[in-house]
Amino acid sequence: MPAKNFEHVFRFFQFQDPSGQSIWLPLVEVTLITSQNTPVLLSLLFDTGATVTTLRAELYPMLGLQSWDQGQRVSVATAGTVAVVDAYQYTFTLEIFDKTVDCPINLMQMPPNPLYHGLLGRDTIFNKFGFGFWESTHELFVTTFP
Amino acid sequence: MNSIKTHAQSQGLESIISPIPTGAKSTEQILKALDKFGVEWYVTGEGTLMIKYWQVAAEDFVPQEKAAIIRATRPSPEESDELDWLSKNLENICQVYGGQWVAVHGNNIVAAAASLPDLMILITDLERPFITFIPSDSIVWTFAYAS
Repeated sequence: MPAKNFEHVFRFFQFQDPSGQSIWLPLVEVTLITSQNTPVLLSLLFDTGATVTTLRAELYPMLGLQSWDQGQRVSVATAGTVAVVDAYQYTFTLEIFDKTVDCPINLMQMPPNPLYHGLLGRDTIFNKFGFGFWESTHELFVTTFP
Repeated sequence: MNSIKTHAQSQGLESIISPIPTGAKSTEQILKALDKFGVEWYVTGEGTLMIKYWQVAAEDFVPQEKAAIIRATRPSPEESDELDWLSKNLENICQVYGGQWVAVHGNNIVAAAASLPDLMILITDLERPFITFIPSDSIVWTFAYAS
């Protein structure tokens, strides 16, 4: 079995919900260069099940779009329903783990959550890195030299 | 002499904190010692001691003028804590800013607006703010991400 080496380790984000229960979220901070050339921090949920990085539809003004649904329409199967939903695909630049990546980004209707803006998906981005996921220790291992 | 013992899983972390002599005889004394050393800590609901640490990797790594360039394109540790600050204060923030877009910077809400375009106008001079929408309704924390 080959050994894999990682230079970075990121702890999952711990949050206590109103009932006092601990919730661990594998959140990754990325920088998005907005249409006004203003870098803003976004938080994305690390998701190997997401084919494409996906942002909430409501973020479209930040990307210089007139509406969320003006990009290339794609059908997306989601984990929480049997239905296929529409998403709209664009290409934008993200800064993530010290790398700048031009990648496809889907805008999709998602339930609101103040702590993350969408899903960090596989297309393009995952090719630039190697990941190790340790649920028991709440750690995400990352190498920038896959 | 007692040393700090934790359930830290990272070998690197364990090797750093294990040899620290505290003289502490109880968990309370260890936590006081961490405060004395200026180490940020918290205890999880499972009872695990978590600490935040920085390790010097290379002194004089870059000249100061180059450091300024690098720092301009990379968030500082204080900025990267904004999500943590937001989560710890989320209940109060939801009460005050529910239904609004907010920008968090330096552990403060520095701007709020009813719409994202309005907020974008307010934050043009800020360096990498964390932007988010604060829901006015209750938040669901268990999910399989579909709408």
